[in-house]
Amino acid sequence: MVVDIDEKSLKHGVLGLVIALVEIIRDALNLQAIKRMEGGSLTEEEIERLGQALMELDAAIEEIKQEQGIVESVRSVRDGLDEVVDDVLDRMINPEKWRQEAEK
Amino acid sequence: MSLETQHRAKTKVALATEAIVEEEGRYVYCVADAREDMSLGKIGIEGHKVHTIPHKDICAVVHSCSAQPYQSDDQEVVKAWVRMHQKVVDAAWERWDTVLPLSFDTIIRGEAEKSAEQNVKDWLKQEYEEFKRRIKKVKGRAEYGVQIFWEPKVIAQSLTSTSPQIRRLDEEIKTKPKGLAYMYRQRLENLMKHEMETKADEYFKDFYGRIRKYTDDVRVEKTKRAEPSLQMIMNLSCLVYRDRYTELGEELGKINRMRGFAVRFTGPWPPYSFVGGA
Repeated sequence: MVVDIDEKSLKHGVLGLVIALVEIIRDALNLQAIKRMEGGSLTEEEIERLGQALMELDAAIEEIKQEQGIVESVRSVRDGLDEVVDDVLDRMINPEKWRQEAEK
Repeated sequence: MSLETQHRAKTKVALATEAIVEEEGRYVYCVADAREDMSLGKIGIEGHKVHTIPHKDICAVVHSCSAQPYQSDDQEVVKAWVRMHQKVVDAAWERWDTVLPLSFDTIIRGEAEKSAEQNVKDWLKQEYEEFKRRIKKVKGRAEYGVQIFWEPKVIAQSLTSTSPQIRRLDEEIKTKPKGLAYMYRQRLENLMKHEMETKADEYFKDFYGRIRKYTDDVRVEKTKRAEPSLQMIMNLSCLVYRDRYTELGEELGKINRMRGFAVRFTGPWPPYSFVGGA
């Protein structure tokens, strides 16, 4: 494969990757927040504050994506990661795959 | 299907790459259920003349070439080759009804003491029983592609109106201050995702059962990412007896008419997905 480095696309790529990672961390935070909320360990007020903070984070991420024109590149990084995870899971839990691998 | 075939093909033909450039080979399109020794004219890849090599009541459909695999860095060129490959398989299939398609770029080469033509003959002879077995498995049938999509938006809407839990949460959000509303919305989204997955599973089982009735064999393929507004929830290759095709079509029509669902029904194809393996 030829690696074609052009400054602009490099910036897009790196920024896209960084924001994709930030989004993933955000998703993990959200998940934790929801778990705690459902577990009942947070007061109403704490949930409100948590919600506000996460909302602001959302808005900030969205703004950066729009400003830098990297909506697409972030999506493609995440889709790519999703596929990798799908593949790994498929290999781990799908017996059909084990058979195929064994036959190789 | 064509693109996957070509990628696989590149690695599969290591056999042929070992050969010397000028060596003679036979590019094999398919094995047909026919006792034929004839030419099919210049319908092959790059206008090559296609002919059959018979053994008993089966024959290989081939063209003569050098023992070099077809390779190019240009995707368009490769696509054109693969299309020609499929065209020849189609032609053989229309003519003889039952064929076993081979993947793109399958080349059998000659050896010092044995011509490529003879090598193909020996191959047919050696694998004769296996070919007959596979021919029996696909005879009188054709392959159809069935892809079922749903519109997540429409499905989500109907979930909101039918699931009391989701509706309650949806109502509650409207009364909450910003931060809380955000958290509840996240929760709602998670709940929704979970419900959608459960629904997709239910529909998959339901549709699969209904489709299975009209098919001789079904292969579950990986779903592909379509657009966000239309999500593929099922991707099947179906081996169908030719006289059951209409019934399958009618069943799929019923699914297609369901709100928020769409069906793509393609074929008939030569049984590409059902000639390998068991």
